[in-house]
Amino acid sequence: MKQAMYGLLLYIFLILPPVANLLESIMIVHMHTQMPLLVFSGFLMAQFFQLRFPRFFAKWNQNGVPGLLLFLIVWSYWMIPRAMDEAITIQVVEIFKFISLPFLAGVPLRDSWKKLSTFGKGFIYVFIMLIFSLMAVLYIGTDEQICNNYLEVDQKTLGWGSLAMAACMIIYGIQFIFTDQSTYE
Amino acid sequence: MKNWRNTLAIILVIIFGSALFYVGTDGFRAFTAESARTYELLKDKPVFPDVTLQDSQERTYSFDEFAEGKFVFLTFMYTSCTTVCPQLEMNMADVYEAIPKKYIGKDILFLSISFDPERDNPETLAKYQTYFGSDGETWRMARINDKKELDSLLKRLGVIVIPDGNGNFTHNTAFYLIGKQGHLMEILDYTKIEDAADTVIAMLGNETGG
Repeated sequence: MKQAMYGLLLYIFLILPPVANLLESIMIVHMHTQMPLLVFSGFLMAQFFQLRFPRFFAKWNQNGVPGLLLFLIVWSYWMIPRAMDEAITIQVVEIFKFISLPFLAGVPLRDSWKKLSTFGKGFIYVFIMLIFSLMAVLYIGTDEQICNNYLEVDQKTLGWGSLAMAACMIIYGIQFIFTDQSTYE
Repeated sequence: MKNWRNTLAIILVIIFGSALFYVGTDGFRAFTAESARTYELLKDKPVFPDVTLQDSQERTYSFDEFAEGKFVFLTFMYTSCTTVCPQLEMNMADVYEAIPKKYIGKDILFLSISFDPERDNPETLAKYQTYFGSDGETWRMARINDKKELDSLLKRLGVIVIPDGNGNFTHNTAFYLIGKQGHLMEILDYTKIEDAADTVIAMLGNETGG
């Protein structure tokens, strides 16, 4: 239960208006820090829900696929430039962000992860890697301003940040494939 | 079926996801806030607020006096801009050239509004307009001195201007076409000069019966 408590604390910290405003003022922090942290807080809080409603998860997320899909959909949605813009300008969207990322992405990810096969886990991994690469191309490649609330240079920074993330994921993936994991267990 | 709930959950999630993306992008039409803005604006057709302009010849008049039942082809810019504004005004000049002369001044006027009134005084504007062949009559360059009026105009037309702290601004860029009744009629891609000119000519042709 301790974990869920930490998750809740992190969550409350993140939705404090000054913290939220600060994190959202920088584009790359908005996308690569605030959003993942929100998912992570949900990931931690998931323990509470799992203990409280074990039958719900067992029945409705039996093989982990529904949770996996929910996570991927919600995560992808927040990668749309417009969603990021509107999270800043429209209050309802902002509230939706604070609800959807922890509870519709973090919680299902936690619950699904253990139930998924290696293929399912690999699928999430590759999917996120592709999304980051795609964003790198999108944000570095376009000379237009995609997000109205951020400067073009922020956009480029975000692009390079995404590229770095994707590169790290690719490197990790390669070492994972080419090293014998059993020797570390 | 043993795990019908699991299957149902998958279906529900997919429906939720489709709905989320559908609503979030106005039915897959607008993936950026800019395209959403254009879409919204063209649906709402807001009326151009009656702002007070001061042009390059130091004349002061309201927008309604200026437009007086004519079409107005509009851009927003600032003269210290080194990136997109010269391109925007250059393209605007191309559109100006492409419109048959019989319409210009009689049915349509061109207007470049500066959102940097502090630096863009009439002198600066007068110099700037010579670069693009603006005649100061049928194509005028003007500033809006009243901060409140300027802000309300930018807001109404969804122009977002962010100062970057070095005296420059990041802003969204487009051609705007205001109709005879002062309604926003079109937002045109400023990089597609021919398309923009065609749209304007077609509209002029309709209005004046050829």
